[in-house]
Amino acid sequence: MAHIQISNLHKQFGDVKVIRDVNLSIDDNEFVVFVGPSGCGKSTLLRLISGLEDLSAGQIKIDGERIDHLPPSKRGIAMVFQSYALYPHMSVYQNMSYALRVAKESKASIEKKVKQAAEVLQLTELLDRKPKALSGGQRQRVAIGRAIVRDPKLFLFDEPLSNLDAKLRVQMRIELTKLHKKLNATMIYVTHDQVEAMTMADKIVVIRDGVIEQVGAPLELYNHPANQFVAGFIGSPSMNFIEVKVIGKSDASLELALKNKTNIHIPCAEVDLHAIGDKMQIGIRPEKLILDEKGDAGQTGEVFAVERLGNETYIYMHTATNNEIVLHAAGDKPVAEGDHISVGFKVADCHLFASNGEVIK
Amino acid sequence: MSLDADIDLIYQKSLRKRKNMRRLWLAFLLLPPILMLLTFVFLPMASAVLYSVYDWKGLVRGEFIGLGNYYDVLFKPRESWFLFNALKNNVVVFISLMIVQNGLALALALLLARKPTGYRFYQVVIFLPVILSTVIIGFQWKLFLNPIFGLVNKFLRMVDLDMWALPWLGLPETALGSMILVNTWHWVGFPTLVFLAAIHRIPKDLIEAARLDGANEWRIARDIIWPLMAPAVTIIVVLTFIGSFNWFEIPFIMGSLEGSPAYSTDTLGLLFYRTAFGSVSAGGSNFGAGSALAVLIFIFIFTFSIIVTKYLTSREIEMG
Repeated sequence: MAHIQISNLHKQFGDVKVIRDVNLSIDDNEFVVFVGPSGCGKSTLLRLISGLEDLSAGQIKIDGERIDHLPPSKRGIAMVFQSYALYPHMSVYQNMSYALRVAKESKASIEKKVKQAAEVLQLTELLDRKPKALSGGQRQRVAIGRAIVRDPKLFLFDEPLSNLDAKLRVQMRIELTKLHKKLNATMIYVTHDQVEAMTMADKIVVIRDGVIEQVGAPLELYNHPANQFVAGFIGSPSMNFIEVKVIGKSDASLELALKNKTNIHIPCAEVDLHAIGDKMQIGIRPEKLILDEKGDAGQTGEVFAVERLGNETYIYMHTATNNEIVLHAAGDKPVAEGDHISVGFKVADCHLFASNGEVIK
Repeated sequence: MSLDADIDLIYQKSLRKRKNMRRLWLAFLLLPPILMLLTFVFLPMASAVLYSVYDWKGLVRGEFIGLGNYYDVLFKPRESWFLFNALKNNVVVFISLMIVQNGLALALALLLARKPTGYRFYQVVIFLPVILSTVIIGFQWKLFLNPIFGLVNKFLRMVDLDMWALPWLGLPETALGSMILVNTWHWVGFPTLVFLAAIHRIPKDLIEAARLDGANEWRIARDIIWPLMAPAVTIIVVLTFIGSFNWFEIPFIMGSLEGSPAYSTDTLGLLFYRTAFGSVSAGGSNFGAGSALAVLIFIFIFTFSIIVTKYLTSREIEMG
């Protein structure tokens, strides 16, 4: 299969820099997810790899060989589009076999490959149908089948599940993960849905404004975000941020004051880099906030929304110091809009970010 | 009666009133086009059918002769020669326009769809002749093709192609072809625009998927773009068909009412005009035979247009 090396990649549309100095290494058989908000350049990065877009500067190598000068069809890449991009005038069989027919493979070999892929994807019964007669999930599978028959070195997926309903999306997520294991292929998957990223990826690449913010395994990103953006983007609901001010320093910790006049001590390896008076943000995941307990520090406020999901509840509150905070509670937690509650957290569960957004270790 | 029932009654009344207003409004909008159609399409058609079954002496209607006029234009040796000569020319015009005009339009549309530098300018230039009057274009090209002082022959002589400097509109072999090319120059912008719109309607993803599947430009055009622009092709084929068999202005202005030279540019339209209103070759006007011709031309165009539309529509694919 394939090892991908992207070095110093730039892409500009006119004066707009869409991709800025991207360096990335993707291992053989890895399932990599590009994630980021709309317009961050993740789809562009995928299209640069596929060859559908020309790069402005940099290199892309597959297994040590440069491919960025090759036309899309010569890169050994297959792509599944968000719209599926099935040829509406061709049957499922013709859709899946088109690339092989263009490559002038023998009829027998085409039939064998298509039938094999159809079996893997449970499409055998649908081979004579036109895309119009298929459901969203079936179309999705045909699009994947069309990619599989080409036996590519690298699979690219551009938000392939975003047109499916929520239930089917969960099902296809699992099917895609299974398929990845079965095919043993390198796959790059683009999504703006961080749940998809967390559940499917071996490695997540978080992108913002054309720049890679952090690369790592899902839990690594969740537990050790490199900056405030990644901390806020990974995890749903997002991490809570509370403004603090440095009021004291010791050898290995900073003394921070919250707006509600509570002080906390947070361990810090590089105390010298920070001065008294510096403004910072502490980040706490919703599930690390404890209702009705003080912890190391607390916040009080009024509940303005309660989301009940059955097995769990998300409580949204305005704190007395005018922050919006969300916390996770049990499904049957008796709480209602307008209630005044207090929450606490432990210092060990806090992430600390400098004013420029970088994490403080 | 209770208050509820009162409110119900008022509600029913206002609903009825609203429905009636809506009907009135629809009738108001539909009446003008219906009147126009009746006056300028159905009435002339009906009168043509009526005129065609009478013998005419000049402008005076004679006796009822049934299908006599139809027999004359179809089977009398001289008249039928004219009819089938004109029909043959119309067929040549249709086939040539399909190949030359629409083929060129398709090529231009495929080129413009790739958005080359300055494509908007080219788009305007290609479409510009469409908005000019056919009469002006006919005269202009008649001058360009003048054997003595015409631009075309001057240019040919300038580049030492004297032997090609022919009297283009004066030779039976070249006259019809020249007019077809002028028609192409005049109209090519229209099918180009329709094809271009059809190409733009094809989702970009499909073209990109085909590119990833290894298809080159030719295969993308053949396998993806062409089948998916079928609805536009249907429109253009039918319009070209109707236009070709109603062809009148260009041969009338660039040749003559007689389809000169030697009836080589004669068309059904010219033949009808000569027969109905009189000319040097046809003699005095003959409304009966003219009407019979008009009815035959109408039946022919109507029938074929329906068949062609039905056939082509059956091959169209809905996207999505």
